[in-house]
Amino acid sequence: MRCLEEKTMSSDKPQNKTFNWRTLNTIWEKITSFREATVVLIIIVIGFILSLCSPHFLTMDNLMSVTIGLSAEGIVVVGMTIALVSGGFDFSVGSVMALSGVIAGELYLLNVNIWLACGIALLVGMLFGLLNGFFIGRVGLNPFITTLAVMGIARGWSYVITQGSPISILGVSKSFTFIGQGKIIGLPFIVIVFLAIAIISDYMMRKSEPLRKVFYTGSNEKTAILSGIDTTTVKIGVYLFVATLASVAGILSMARFTVATPATGLGADVSMKSISAAVIGGVSLSGGEGTILGAVLGVILLNLINNGLILLNIPVYWQDLMNGVILICAVTLDHVSHKNRQKNLKGKKFKGV
Amino acid sequence: MNKVNKIISVTVLITFLVAALLTGCSNFKNNDSSNDSKTSLVGDSNEEYYMVTFLSGIEYWKGCYSGFKDAGKLYGIKTIYTGGIQYDVNQEVTALEQVIAKKPAGIALTCINPDAFKVPIKAAMDAGIPIVTFDSDSPDSGRYSFLGTGNKYAGEVAAKALSEQLGPKGGEVVAITNPIQLNNEERVNGFRDAINETYKNLKLVQVGNGNGDQTEAAKVLSGLLQAHPDIKGVFCTEATSGVGAAAAVKEANKEGLVKIVSFDTDKGTLDAIKSGTIATSIAQGTYVMGYQSMNFLFQLKHELINPLKDWKAKGINPLPPFVDTGVYIVSKKNVDSFYTK
Repeated sequence: MRCLEEKTMSSDKPQNKTFNWRTLNTIWEKITSFREATVVLIIIVIGFILSLCSPHFLTMDNLMSVTIGLSAEGIVVVGMTIALVSGGFDFSVGSVMALSGVIAGELYLLNVNIWLACGIALLVGMLFGLLNGFFIGRVGLNPFITTLAVMGIARGWSYVITQGSPISILGVSKSFTFIGQGKIIGLPFIVIVFLAIAIISDYMMRKSEPLRKVFYTGSNEKTAILSGIDTTTVKIGVYLFVATLASVAGILSMARFTVATPATGLGADVSMKSISAAVIGGVSLSGGEGTILGAVLGVILLNLINNGLILLNIPVYWQDLMNGVILICAVTLDHVSHKNRQKNLKGKKFKGV
Repeated sequence: MNKVNKIISVTVLITFLVAALLTGCSNFKNNDSSNDSKTSLVGDSNEEYYMVTFLSGIEYWKGCYSGFKDAGKLYGIKTIYTGGIQYDVNQEVTALEQVIAKKPAGIALTCINPDAFKVPIKAAMDAGIPIVTFDSDSPDSGRYSFLGTGNKYAGEVAAKALSEQLGPKGGEVVAITNPIQLNNEERVNGFRDAINETYKNLKLVQVGNGNGDQTEAAKVLSGLLQAHPDIKGVFCTEATSGVGAAAAVKEANKEGLVKIVSFDTDKGTLDAIKSGTIATSIAQGTYVMGYQSMNFLFQLKHELINPLKDWKAKGINPLPPFVDTGVYIVSKKNVDSFYTK
């Protein structure tokens, strides 16, 4: 929540100068002009309804369990957002997640030190990112088919390694399980990692030059090339980053469950979910637009809905249906309000850094 | 219903075994060379029996095939394992068709999809190759028999295991299933019915969707533990959600207070039972599936089963259409026996 307030302030600074002659209106304008406002509003409304409907919703334990649950997914969403902003996407995140866990687990069973094993797994994950980046950035293949193929390779490899059955690393050192199960001053480590990654990436997306280049590449690649941006390197960097984050998420998940499953991220379809979380948070599917903050809010919204359906005792057969209905409402609301906002801000279009 | 079914299938099975023995003896009279009374139960070493699976790399089938192989050894015939590597209908059908083209002595088949196998199974049966299905059936294909876990019964056993874990005081329990899988749904139904009818110390308060994913299952159980703080037990209809449930219980600081009954015996589950994070698991009779499949196929091929005169010509099935291969309850006491080498 703290990070949310910071972002509100920072993203509104430019408008402050032009609107500072208003008073109460200004504050309202400030809130609504902030791109993620609608999602925040929807989260607040849903949170409010849920706390009325179920006494178990607004408890520290419940919110904490929701946060732990969305952390690994959230780390992947950060990467996916950057891929979407660059004008592509990455279907291989779930399989890279699975593969990293499987490689680390298998090496551990072969008596490799668990940290070294994780390092190797991370490198392999990054290699898959490079593979994506090479084919998309250098060869110029379509991200859809490239990441789909790489997904097959990564998933297939994890099946080959495990022969299909999950790897159990029970008995691994406490220092390793700490990264998935431990807590620092009451906050689970996995949540801290997620927040750190999200906050740093969000800041970088707004301020740092390399990540600004991702925006230019995504919004208009030709213009970006003409203005001297090496879009090939940008794309390779993007997919490398996405795969690294997916790897981290896979290793953290393994530490949390002390089991590495080759089917991780398959049943729940992490790539699809992270794309929808990002889009709910205002990230454009056609590239060049979006923030990490928005995507993180999107993933929070998705998980709150999920949590609510459980707390409210909705039968499993209804959950997908309800999820879909709520999602389409949320996205429509966001889309309409975004359009209105753009109408209001006509002539003050975002000019970049 | 289920019990009646079981009694019928067991009786039928015994009848056939006796019939098989009798025919074995009468066949013996026709055999000229050997004077060993076991001769009719020994096949030709060139006879090939195939086991065909999907996702053929996974550990689960290893139990089935080792039963198949062990039974095959008794008859001195050759057993071969093959199938489609991926979860892909086309791939498995192709694998089956290739096997049929080799004209084997018999095929034990597990069907990724019930309808996709109707045509190839019929073709094989018409060509005189006996086929039985195991684990996953294709009921309308005309296969001789299906040997698998009665999933509803497995759910009842899970209820029994959980009821015993919680003792007479019992308490509120939940189940985590994967609703898109019919076998998972049958397990939950059996679990629910058994609680309503027999294990009244338990109260099933909610059923969650684990999506076949550990992170999802953990999320679901975390939510359920919030919604129903008095939950004492969980039944997970498949192993992945069992792992997720164990993490959720740990994260809620309720280790030991919430008993988990999981399903199947992959190493993660067995390790968790050993360490106590999962109380029990329901193991399927995979070995028996393979072992009895082989027996049936051999008996069919060598016409050892003849409960009725001219059954083949008249299109009568000599085998029970369904054999429940049973389940075992895995607990800390017996967990060591379930590790595969």
